[in-house]
Amino acid sequence: MRWGRVAVVVGKEARELWRDRITVAVCLLMPLVMLFLFGYAINLDVEAVPLAVVDQDRTPQSRALIGRFVQSDYFRYARDLSSVREAEAALLRSRAKVALVIPRGFQKDLVKGMDPGVQVLVDGTYSATALLVAAYANAIVVRFPTPEIERVRAEYRIWYNPAMRSMNYVVPGLYGVILMAFPPLLTALAIVREKESGSIQQIFASPLTSREFVAGKLIPYAMVAYLQILMVIALGYFWFAVPFRGEPWLLMASSAVYVMTTVGIGLLVSAVTRTQLAAMLLALIVTLMPSFLFSGFLFPIFTMPLALQLYSKLFPAGPFMEISRGVVLKGADLESLWPNLLLLVLYTLVVFIIAAARLKKKVA
Amino acid sequence: MLLNAEKVGRSFGETRALEDVSFQLDNGQMLAVVGPDGAGKTTLMLMLTAILDPTAGRCTVFGFDSVKQSAEITDRIGYMSQNFSLYDRLTVEENLAFSAGVRGIKGAEYQARRAQLLEMAGLSAFADRYAGKLSGGMRKKLSLCTNLIHQPELLVLDEPGLGVDPLSRRELWQILAEFQRQGTAMVIATSYMDEAENCGHVLMLDQGKIVAEGSPIDLKKQCADKVFELSSAQPGSLYSTLSSDPAVNYLQWLPTRLRFQVDALERLAAATQEQCRLQGELTAVEPTLEDVFVHFTGADQGNQMVPSPAPARLLEIGKPVISTHGLTARFGGFTAVDTVSLNLHAGEIIALVGPNGAGKTTLIRLLCGLLAPAAGELEVAAVDVRRKPQAIRSYVGYMSQSFSLYSDLSAAENMAFFAGAYRLGGKKKAASITAVSRMTGIDGIDQHQRAGSLSGAIRQRLALACAILHEPKVLFLDEPTSGVDPLSRYHFWQLIQLLASRGVAVLVTTHYLSEAAYCDRIGLMDRGRLLACGTLQTLCQEARLAEGTSLEDVFIHYVSRAAAEREQAT
Repeated sequence: MRWGRVAVVVGKEARELWRDRITVAVCLLMPLVMLFLFGYAINLDVEAVPLAVVDQDRTPQSRALIGRFVQSDYFRYARDLSSVREAEAALLRSRAKVALVIPRGFQKDLVKGMDPGVQVLVDGTYSATALLVAAYANAIVVRFPTPEIERVRAEYRIWYNPAMRSMNYVVPGLYGVILMAFPPLLTALAIVREKESGSIQQIFASPLTSREFVAGKLIPYAMVAYLQILMVIALGYFWFAVPFRGEPWLLMASSAVYVMTTVGIGLLVSAVTRTQLAAMLLALIVTLMPSFLFSGFLFPIFTMPLALQLYSKLFPAGPFMEISRGVVLKGADLESLWPNLLLLVLYTLVVFIIAAARLKKKVA
Repeated sequence: MLLNAEKVGRSFGETRALEDVSFQLDNGQMLAVVGPDGAGKTTLMLMLTAILDPTAGRCTVFGFDSVKQSAEITDRIGYMSQNFSLYDRLTVEENLAFSAGVRGIKGAEYQARRAQLLEMAGLSAFADRYAGKLSGGMRKKLSLCTNLIHQPELLVLDEPGLGVDPLSRRELWQILAEFQRQGTAMVIATSYMDEAENCGHVLMLDQGKIVAEGSPIDLKKQCADKVFELSSAQPGSLYSTLSSDPAVNYLQWLPTRLRFQVDALERLAAATQEQCRLQGELTAVEPTLEDVFVHFTGADQGNQMVPSPAPARLLEIGKPVISTHGLTARFGGFTAVDTVSLNLHAGEIIALVGPNGAGKTTLIRLLCGLLAPAAGELEVAAVDVRRKPQAIRSYVGYMSQSFSLYSDLSAAENMAFFAGAYRLGGKKKAASITAVSRMTGIDGIDQHQRAGSLSGAIRQRLALACAILHEPKVLFLDEPTSGVDPLSRYHFWQLIQLLASRGVAVLVTTHYLSEAAYCDRIGLMDRGRLLACGTLQTLCQEARLAEGTSLEDVFIHYVSRAAAEREQAT
């Protein structure tokens, strides 16, 4: 590989890219748009869930329990009902997401020291929120003062994200998703465009090797992608107020490697396709979709079946998200993150080598 | 030996693009590869360039095997592909610098070659212009420069003259000649026979096989005494006699004479010989390479596609069908068509020639009513177009440069669509489709084949068929013969003459100056102005050039005269 020739290709690519003002503008704007949309839209926090109450006891104690629910901020008092049947109807019509049923004799049982039961009916159509709602309700009920009985109580401490703000883990995850969405899309067109216009024949019939050509294409696009990630990280810190507990240099360095990986995937797509349309579709399928599903961005990998866990290892968004969440939220250092970083370096090398090998200097 | 092809073949799936091609090339030689569309020229060029592997035989360049040592070959050659291969967002200078950088040419060496090449190509003044903003001719010249920057020992060119105006083409060939003098060997694929004449060696390809090979002189010798011209007062009856004689090949009706090939005069039917003797003057003429090509390929191509011959054409100069006065079109500050005054009569064929950007296409768009003129008068069939632009639509037929067919529709579907667009319906539609397909000779093809997969020559005829379904009085053809092989081009001209004989006025633009011979008058256009319009004879007389001066020289004379006048004016 002669670096002089790579530099020539870099210069040419950078000029062409820079003069394509519309593309440059789209490149820099789209990540911001996606960050804002997803940063605000993906909210898994449970707040003000409409609560229906069936209080058959109507005593000071039952009112105190209802008060605990309403004061918690997690629940909003929606309506007072007189029977379980009415509660069912309210859940069915989505007038309430939770129903609390306090049976007759609740206070009497409490005073006697017997364990009174209450019933919590949860709308389980959104299973993720249903679990949270059930857990919150349980926490309130369990802590309801029962002075006569001593119980074993667990003390919860949520680490790394004590407020359990979903923005705090969605935004650092988005760093990985955004970088997987836009740079490969842009880069996927880089080689295929020359195939369509026919200028690639000129490249084939020249001393440039496939590796030099691919490397020359990779560098300018990686620089644009790096600019994108810097913007996105800055916005995450200053606008979304995501904490930054770890070393900034570690995230910057890992981002540099990750950018090479994602741009490399774009080039690989470009090397194996023939038309710009096919390149774009393939890029979407191999980058955007798995970066949502198989990166742990929203759906934790460790809950997946083993086969899918292995499959998810094929995509580099996961390791990067480990790093970005690790650095941003946990303040993790290189010592604990190096396996992920090493994985990214390996991905980049493999993708680059395959792309250069797939781009044979032959027209057919 | 610089290049050696041994029984080279290439298949793409079932299709055999090239078969059993063997030839050699020595240092400094110039070889032309000629043949119609789809003959395998581009495939051969790609294999010589080592960017396509042969599926049979082998090919060595500089002694390196094109499959195993392709990098050694691509290090040393220049290859100019058929399509434009420049980067539109880079300037002339940057395109050249990229090509030099890739080949490790830098510093003073680059500066010297850059200056020399830009000078030769006449591009020095445009070094900072984006390649995307150059004219077609300039782009071709720049492409050539980017492939000469490293002074390759071998230059492979695929259709360098395609779609390039005569002036740029001449400059292109001057550059090639200069580099050949310096010892660069060249292989040039071309469908222009006059380009092949410039080369020391010619290889004729047809359907992937070599049909003839040799120097232009040797090749022409093989056709000596086989090409004849016949001048006569009654060309019409002679034409019908000759065209029905099976021994006659490649019969052409030129404005002043008939031209044809026959293996030997004795092979003509006795009656034909008799009639030729009585009604005309028969002379054997020097064959051209085009004659040679037709001689070797015409037989296999068969005459089944040949449309019925044009009947005698008597030009009556009456009231013009189209008449313009001071017609002008402007785009912003740019004057694309500058005060053009032209009359076109029924049954007349006028050729418009001129470089890219001369305003030919814009003029045609004005005449069709597709573009509103900025100034001047335009009457089509005595209707003032400026007042009623819609009224002329049914009078005119227009075939645009790139044959505006729907490539995903079949031939029949294309015709049905265009018939509908001209509001033909029912029986009239069916009748005109049948009549037009028979006339253009496309009734023989599979009507269900998609237009995109038809050969260039057939697509051209289909496009013509679509343009004349509504029986227009005036027909505009914008570069109808670009990229089509000589025989098909000739058949196409027969069709145009047939239409003219039925009273259709035809205006054609072309890059092939030789085709002007089929036309009654020739209009020379440059920079939006119609410099002159007349027969070749009157054009020569007006410019005080010797009679028999080639149209190319006449054209260049007029263009340089106009340039000189402009310079004087400023």
